[in-house]
Amino acid sequence: MTDQKPLQIQQPDITRRQFIQGTTLVGFSAFLAACGTSGTGSPSASAAASPSAGASTEPSAPASVEPQSPSAELNFANWPLYIDTDDNDPTKHKTLEDFKAKYGTTVKYSEVINDNDEFFGTIRPALQAGQDTGWDLVVLTDWMAGRLVRLGWVEQFDLANMPNKVANMQDVYKGVDFDPTDDHHAPWQSGMTGLGFDSKVTGDLTSLEALWTPDPKWKGKVTFLTEMRDAVGLTLLKLGKDPSQATVEDGQAAVDEMQKAVDAGIVRAFTGNEYAEDLVSGNVVLAMAWSGDVIAKQAEKETLVWQLPDEGGMLWTDNMMIPKGAQHKYTAELMIDFVYDPKIAAQIAAWVNYVTPVKGAKEALAADDPDLAESPLIFPSDEVLAKVKIFKSLTEDEETTFNDAFSALIGN
Amino acid sequence: MGARRWLIRLTPYLLLAPGVLWLLVFYVYPSIQMFISSFWSGTLETGFTFSFDNWRTYADALDRYEPQFVRSLVYGGAATIICFLIAYPLAYAIAFRGGRYKNVLLFLVIAPFFTSFLLRTQSWKIILGDDGILFGPLKDAGFLPPEFRVLATPAAVIAGIAYNFLPFMTLPIYVSLEKLDIRLVEAARDLYAGPWRPGGIVAGIVVGALVGAGLAAAMSYDVVVMAAIGLVVGLVIGAFFVSESFLRVVLPLSLPGVFAGSLLTFIPAMGDFVNAQILGTSETRMIGNVIQSRFLQNNDYPTAAALSFILMAAILAMVAVYAKILGTEELTSAR
Repeated sequence: MTDQKPLQIQQPDITRRQFIQGTTLVGFSAFLAACGTSGTGSPSASAAASPSAGASTEPSAPASVEPQSPSAELNFANWPLYIDTDDNDPTKHKTLEDFKAKYGTTVKYSEVINDNDEFFGTIRPALQAGQDTGWDLVVLTDWMAGRLVRLGWVEQFDLANMPNKVANMQDVYKGVDFDPTDDHHAPWQSGMTGLGFDSKVTGDLTSLEALWTPDPKWKGKVTFLTEMRDAVGLTLLKLGKDPSQATVEDGQAAVDEMQKAVDAGIVRAFTGNEYAEDLVSGNVVLAMAWSGDVIAKQAEKETLVWQLPDEGGMLWTDNMMIPKGAQHKYTAELMIDFVYDPKIAAQIAAWVNYVTPVKGAKEALAADDPDLAESPLIFPSDEVLAKVKIFKSLTEDEETTFNDAFSALIGN
Repeated sequence: MGARRWLIRLTPYLLLAPGVLWLLVFYVYPSIQMFISSFWSGTLETGFTFSFDNWRTYADALDRYEPQFVRSLVYGGAATIICFLIAYPLAYAIAFRGGRYKNVLLFLVIAPFFTSFLLRTQSWKIILGDDGILFGPLKDAGFLPPEFRVLATPAAVIAGIAYNFLPFMTLPIYVSLEKLDIRLVEAARDLYAGPWRPGGIVAGIVVGALVGAGLAAAMSYDVVVMAAIGLVVGLVIGAFFVSESFLRVVLPLSLPGVFAGSLLTFIPAMGDFVNAQILGTSETRMIGNVIQSRFLQNNDYPTAAALSFILMAAILAMVAVYAKILGTEELTSAR
């Protein structure tokens, strides 16, 4: 069966899940321990002396025969609330201005990705036809990144153009099953899925049970996520099962469990990022939520809380990729490398509050904002990492089964 | 001389050419493409293969998505009725009482179209917010229970559709009323067409109660209460606002507009997915949502294509029946 599919890369016996569980968490905590000691010395000095930061700022001489120069523009598709944004002008992003100052490139940054599948649907026709999608850089979650790589729809990076990325990517992210050589994707941010709520209305919540047995007053003010792996994953944790080992039966059990909440009139809707707006407006008081979203929205509503549930939460990574046939591949590579500069990574992390994949970002952040550098959401502790799960790498058949059951639940 | 004759003969076809070409490229070709993909099987990663044995996709799709089909029919129908109830008096007032403000009023009807469809729908979300500008104060004052909401209910979806398609109903009705020769009404009055009290009261009660009950059922509200409200409103309208000259002259002559307006409203309303997406829940999803997510999210092109064809066929069948009842020439002779 597999030999008829030239596009499909043979899955190694060690899946990403096992790999990450085996090495990643150990590596991650080792790294965190390491920066815990080095970071405390003299924060400002360590940030300034960060070797990679120095190396990155020098425009490296092109290694290839043809000299390449940055293009005038770069089309960058990303998720909402996912880059540092000016408090007064939501269209201004300091990171992108810094990029322009350095390379002269105007970044056309569009917050158009609300849902992996939906965005995939918009770029698929062009990719299938072998045409340019119009995007130079897109950010998609690991399982979707895996699909694009398997389909052969992303450009291979010229790693010579990205010394920062090579030097500064956290070890935990290296050698994932869909891209063992790390030259088709670059992690943008990782995040956790847990409970988001308005503590003024709900008080403190710590258990996923709250999503199924809320106070009757919150009925119809609870949202679940349309991202299948997050919704099913959290439900499995609630049921006491491990999402990293989910079987097809488990998936069905999770869907049945969510159906109960829908039938009881508890669930208002299944949403993408929209729940964040609804939490602010008060239409929703409790949601399956992504860590950084809720923290970002605290600026508008202080009583919003993101909580890692007692039962555990989900961990995922969104990855930068260059779609096949992108117009400005070289500039996209420069951009990837740019955000792997610890100072830039710290600037983004400080605003988006997601887990950064860049080594040295903690030290760089500690120089400006020591409190934030201790944030467990940006630099999660071992305890937190022990409680979060990465959803199993599904085979195509499994994915179809899971999606079908989940689609029926959300009315698709 | 011969060349000139040819040119004259060819003229109609030349005039038709742009439209025909347009239809061929943007309607016929995609339809064929979609028809073919509805008989595919496979997945994006393995590739798709065509076979007529895959006709089962149609049966499965119809079976699996029956609730969404029914919902589309009900919501689209309810929205069309609401549009009619709002648009007819509106168009009547503009046509006969608009005076020199006619153009301004017409502009106001179309004004919302200058904003994007999505924004208009999104703004309903703000207006209808659980603690928003409308219900917030009412709840604070104790007129509504705190758990009351309209958003994320069928009513919100139907209201959103009705709002978004209102101009499509208003304009055709306006056009047919505006063209109406007012001397016909005067003639009717001269021929003793007066108020329509007894008949109007009976008709008002029956129609009002039926419409109220129907809308209540569509929005899953209390049928008895809504029927009672409809009954009272119908009675008042029938008793005081419907004259015999309206019934016998104005209404029949405006039917082409009503016919065109209800088609222009109902057809897009049935396929709409934006309102159900933004204002609804997983329990209010319409067939348009399913087609959209099958195409774009699940990459299930065969099912999406099959659903589109079923929807097209269903609408064609309903329009055929409707045209049979109201008479096809009404559509083409809309004046």
